[in-house]
Amino acid sequence: MSQSLDDISRQLKARHRKSRRLHWMSMTALLLAGAFLLAFLADMIGKGYPAFVQAEIQAEIHYSEMAKDIPLAAVDEDMRELVSRGFLRLIPNEMEANPELLGTTRMRWVVADDQVDQYLKGHYHQLDDEQVAIVDRLVEEGRADLRFNTYFFTNGDSKLPEIAGIQAAVVGSILTLFVTLAFAFPVGVMTAIYLEEFAPDNKFTQAIEININNLAAVPSILFGLLGLAIFINFFGVPRSSALVGGLTLGLMTLPIIIISSRAALRSVPDSIRQAAFGVGATRWQVVRDHVLPLSLPGILTGSIIGLAQAMGETAPLIIIGMIAFIPDAPNSITQAATVMPAQIFTWAGMPERAYIERTAAGILVLLSVLITLNASAVYLRKKFERRW
Amino acid sequence: MTQLMQTDQILMAFFGGLLPLGALAFFLGRSKAVRVREEGVHMHSQPDQYAWFAVFSTALPAVVLGLLASLAFLVIGQMLPAPMVLTIALAVGAGGMWWGLNAIRPEFRARDFNEASVRWALLLASLVSIITTFGILLSIVFEAVRFFQMESFWYFITGTEWSPGAAFLEGAGRAAEDASDARFGAVPLFVGTFMITAIAMLVAVPIGLLAAIYMSEYAPEKVRTLAKPVLEVLAGIPTVVYGFFAAITVAPMIVTAAESIGLEASFNNALASGVVMGIMIIPFISSLSDDVISSVPSAMRQGSLALGTTRAETIRFVVVPAALPGIISATLLGVSRALGETMIVVMAAGLRPNLSWNPLEDMTTVTVRIVDALTGDQAFESAETLSAFALGLVLFAVTLSLNFVSVIMIKRFREKYRSSNL
Amino acid sequence: MKTIAKTSFAVAALVAGTIGTAEARDQLRIVGSSTVFPFASYVAEELGATTKWPTPVIESTGSGGGMKLFCAGNGLDTPDITNASRQMKVSEFERCQENGVTDITQAVIGYDGIAFAQSKDNDPINLTREQITLAVAKEVPQGGKLVPNPYKNWSEIDSSLPDREIIIYGPPTTSGTRDAFEELVMEAASEEIDGYGGEYTKIRQDGVYVPSGENDNLIVQKLEQNTDAFGIFGYSFLEENEDKLQGAKIDGVAPEADAISSGEYPVSRSLFFYIKNSHADDVPAMSDYVELFMSEKMIGEIGYLKGIGLIPLPKDVREDMRERVAEREQLELSDLK
Repeated sequence: MSQSLDDISRQLKARHRKSRRLHWMSMTALLLAGAFLLAFLADMIGKGYPAFVQAEIQAEIHYSEMAKDIPLAAVDEDMRELVSRGFLRLIPNEMEANPELLGTTRMRWVVADDQVDQYLKGHYHQLDDEQVAIVDRLVEEGRADLRFNTYFFTNGDSKLPEIAGIQAAVVGSILTLFVTLAFAFPVGVMTAIYLEEFAPDNKFTQAIEININNLAAVPSILFGLLGLAIFINFFGVPRSSALVGGLTLGLMTLPIIIISSRAALRSVPDSIRQAAFGVGATRWQVVRDHVLPLSLPGILTGSIIGLAQAMGETAPLIIIGMIAFIPDAPNSITQAATVMPAQIFTWAGMPERAYIERTAAGILVLLSVLITLNASAVYLRKKFERRW
Repeated sequence: MTQLMQTDQILMAFFGGLLPLGALAFFLGRSKAVRVREEGVHMHSQPDQYAWFAVFSTALPAVVLGLLASLAFLVIGQMLPAPMVLTIALAVGAGGMWWGLNAIRPEFRARDFNEASVRWALLLASLVSIITTFGILLSIVFEAVRFFQMESFWYFITGTEWSPGAAFLEGAGRAAEDASDARFGAVPLFVGTFMITAIAMLVAVPIGLLAAIYMSEYAPEKVRTLAKPVLEVLAGIPTVVYGFFAAITVAPMIVTAAESIGLEASFNNALASGVVMGIMIIPFISSLSDDVISSVPSAMRQGSLALGTTRAETIRFVVVPAALPGIISATLLGVSRALGETMIVVMAAGLRPNLSWNPLEDMTTVTVRIVDALTGDQAFESAETLSAFALGLVLFAVTLSLNFVSVIMIKRFREKYRSSNL
Repeated sequence: MKTIAKTSFAVAALVAGTIGTAEARDQLRIVGSSTVFPFASYVAEELGATTKWPTPVIESTGSGGGMKLFCAGNGLDTPDITNASRQMKVSEFERCQENGVTDITQAVIGYDGIAFAQSKDNDPINLTREQITLAVAKEVPQGGKLVPNPYKNWSEIDSSLPDREIIIYGPPTTSGTRDAFEELVMEAASEEIDGYGGEYTKIRQDGVYVPSGENDNLIVQKLEQNTDAFGIFGYSFLEENEDKLQGAKIDGVAPEADAISSGEYPVSRSLFFYIKNSHADDVPAMSDYVELFMSEKMIGEIGYLKGIGLIPLPKDVREDMRERVAEREQLELSDLK
């Protein structure tokens, strides 16, 4: 069967059309994925930014004898429901620390109740008409305002949404990640060095390799069960502590660090090793003085990515007790601690609506840290990337 | 004083004593070697190597003794008097140092000794990952076995009714006569898990694969270097954040959309969790596929194009088939990620074991049950709590076998194209 | 090499410096029920903010998980207090005894009503426990034997009820709220209905009863969206969402604080916490915490906890309880039913 040239050119047109279609489709796919990311970030920013401001009102604080026992008495009656309890309950302590306050009255800007906050932000609130009128009057007089929310960054968790913050969770995250890194980085890099530079190619080595690939795919929640059984029940590491969290997350991060470190070690050309052996270096000297320094940027990049993943992980922490009410920042790795994603999870389940924006704001903080980590990994990779 | 504080202090004291001792050994060893060398004697190794040998000989006996003491504590449950153990360990360390310093002689092969020690240390480190796997197995298997002693294994795997209600009563110490009524047929959970995973893969595979094709075959270098890390941000977003997004934003959207076309959707619909999980998995598929597609030898593309095929034809009939094992293994990795994903479903999927194929209904998954059972109100020995471990075991087995398949696939790809980039 | 040596010296000095910073345990450790969790956290926060003690750590492990940790022994690494949304079981008490945890004090802090709530868009409704049981039971008696529950509509159960689809969002099998619901509604009602033969607590699984998380904001959205639906959850959650939800009257009584407190509202349970007295000396914060929790300021008629949904005990019961807790009355097996 022979085809006319017309047929062929028609066919050719169709084939090229098809070809262009694949081009467009694949481009759309990439754009779609990018659009997801944008939509997601926009949603979170939209929900989260109100939490960065917080209603404050100017109120007269009467440091009376009575306020020592009943802090509520320190403010005028019409303001009692509008001022945060988180502020009022500290008045007796304040008076004890500064006895000269007794008998004085001061005008102070104090944090407002979450209902006032929600009202000023135009959200649903539970203030009655009378209270709304008072707040409206205060706003007119310039005595109530939305101001930058420092509490969010300096306080720990609270049952009062207006003074709830992420400081304790941030400190907990740092301590936990410190343990994770201190454990997973050396062990991971050593494993990678062994497998790449020292191990003989036998069944045992292959078993280790396959096992590491498997570990990378094991669901994170199973690591939680492991942490509970081994670290807490067997070794007696205190529950909810940064130590047990860090070790559990460390085991989870281990395969990521091993896999990326191996790739980095492998990318160092053999000629370098041969040259070093040639001048009489031992295997360890070759690794320590030549291969390791050359592959360090790659190893660091992989470790940062592993760390970022550990930082966002929540599921195993439920099992080892880190999802709890822990408002004080820990000051050692054996103290109870919570981490940022755990804090986000707790807030997401709270009935008070002021927590929704705090959840989103917490997410924004966490995301900015994670994106910074990832970006620095990409930067490191670009800066030190070497083509041999 | 708590026992934990003691552990804390013991460790501090131990290392606080050992570190200066080690440093001392280093300097003494080094100076001795340097001295001998300056006398003009030929030494087998460098001074630093002797110094490190001295450090090893100090630290090793002390650490081993410390480990033995804590092991003894764990096994017999009796705390040996800590100060005694500490003193002995440090004394042994000092003894080791003395011995090590004495051993520094010109003919002594410190380098070989160090080399062997390093090799052993590295080997020990690589054993950690194997121990972890066994640890996971051990921590699940015992409780799972206890569960299967109470409930039939066969029904667990094949039964279609998950109603631990009566088991709860039993656990709560009430109405034990109803115990035989507990049903632990996990099929509805498997179906829910499968359903959500399938939805996730339906989202992730086409988008991920096409994006990978675009990045490796069409995109200019600049776009590629920008797009890849940006996409990887999607993988870096914590799952708890995705869960919040699915529950608060996506699920209500789906309910409204379904209503506008006359369908009824649950607020815990499987679709929301599935779609969001799919978004999360896109970068896994796209990054890995991109690597595989890029490592298909360009000779194959050139050959194909030289025969007059269009670009799309080359991609469809040459590049993608060549990269297929790698793509499949990337997909399998995505599947095991989806199966084991916990936070998204805990926050957005339902709790009802629901044997249904309608993605708009609420469903529950294996991981949700695990979390729910372990944080619930019933007594710990109840069958329902223990079922968490049985479910964990199933999850472990499934991800393991998926991974074996994917390892074999990758191996096949490597052999076929002798590509070492994987 | 010199730098390594220098760093190791620095590290050694640092490590040596940190020795001795460890202190006696000031921080209270509390575990237990998720229902009591918000109340306990409130008290804990107050303790942390207004006294010298650090804020206690409170973990929401569920009542059973809490008991397991609590009864594990007397070591200071075990929790000092466990919260429970039900009384300690005999089996748990025995477990405690076996592990040497013998000196326990039980404290009742108040009640939690279990509400049967619907969207505000509906007319108020009055249900009996029998009607609810027939709506959620797996099987119902018909013609002398149990048949799978055929009811899809409230009016099929009783013609006086509205023509409305039965759909109920309720707690999952792992929840103590479900346990209480089964006991207080189904078990009580099935004794009245012929054909159940006493205690019947099986809940249907055909999609009419939808297990949902109890402290879940989604349940409110669901009830708003689907006005036919009812939700079963703790009273505190109903109170928090009064703008959107209303509670059904049960046996003619509305779920309100007074009715729950007096015991008129039939579906309510007590909330507890248990104190491990052997820790009293080592964890000095414990007595302050317990005193604060039992104080009028917290669990009284105008206490803070009422504001977040706890139903106070009647005055005389409350005072009696406060006294018994203050004396650290030891829990005996005979106190448990």
